[in-house]
Amino acid sequence: MIKILVDRTKPTTEEIKRHQNFETILDKASINETKKILPWYYGAVGLASFIFAIVTILL
Amino acid sequence: MAVNLLYHQNEFRLEDEMRQIEIAKKDPRQFAPLYKKYHEAIFRYVYKRVDEEEAAYDITSSVFVKALASLSRYEFRGVPFSSWLFRIAKSELYQSFRDKKAQRTVSLDSVTIVQFIDELNEDFSEEQRTTLINSLKLLKDHQLQLIEMRFFEKRSFKEIGEIVGLTENNAKVKTFRALVKLKEIFNRTKA
Repeated sequence: MIKILVDRTKPTTEEIKRHQNFETILDKASINETKKILPWYYGAVGLASFIFAIVTILL
Repeated sequence: MAVNLLYHQNEFRLEDEMRQIEIAKKDPRQFAPLYKKYHEAIFRYVYKRVDEEEAAYDITSSVFVKALASLSRYEFRGVPFSSWLFRIAKSELYQSFRDKKAQRTVSLDSVTIVQFIDELNEDFSEEQRTTLINSLKLLKDHQLQLIEMRFFEKRSFKEIGEIVGLTENNAKVKTFRALVKLKEIFNRTKA
């Protein structure tokens, strides 16, 4: 259900500025980036290890 | 109609911003000036659409996390950086509605209501005001979004199109249809 609010108090520019925290954004973005990379990274390492093991056995 | 100054930037400023984005792609710390520049605009966009202030701050924060994490994929293809951020904000908002972390809200002020009732070719009265509020609740969300951006936030059709992923002309046509639909619901509710 949609809520309609009329003449709601708006935070001031100063209040909004106080909530700025670039360091947190930076940290969270780097965690997100790591999360995105990890499955591929482990998949690639796993596949390479598997191929290396097969080649070693065959030789 | 008031214009969004952050959106209507001159060519020099846009070029300067593109330079800033390219620098930030190489060094995420350099994203700080862009964060500071757009934080308030994104917060206000989100705040108008959720019922709790804290939820608005959380969603705003996740918009910038997403933007920074995917900045390397941003390319200027005629869509200004601000519209790209609003697109992320829109998608984060709907994710939080799905996750029930926030409630879909429409924030209006009395002046906008009077102006909008005039747009519907009606004379203002308390009864009309209640009818309008009830009618807005009956609109489909994509229609409400267009009405919200065009009439309550005074955005241009070009900007609306960029945020919702439509051409300027399509945004104009769909906003007009949404307004017709709202008039229809308004008249039905009134009767």
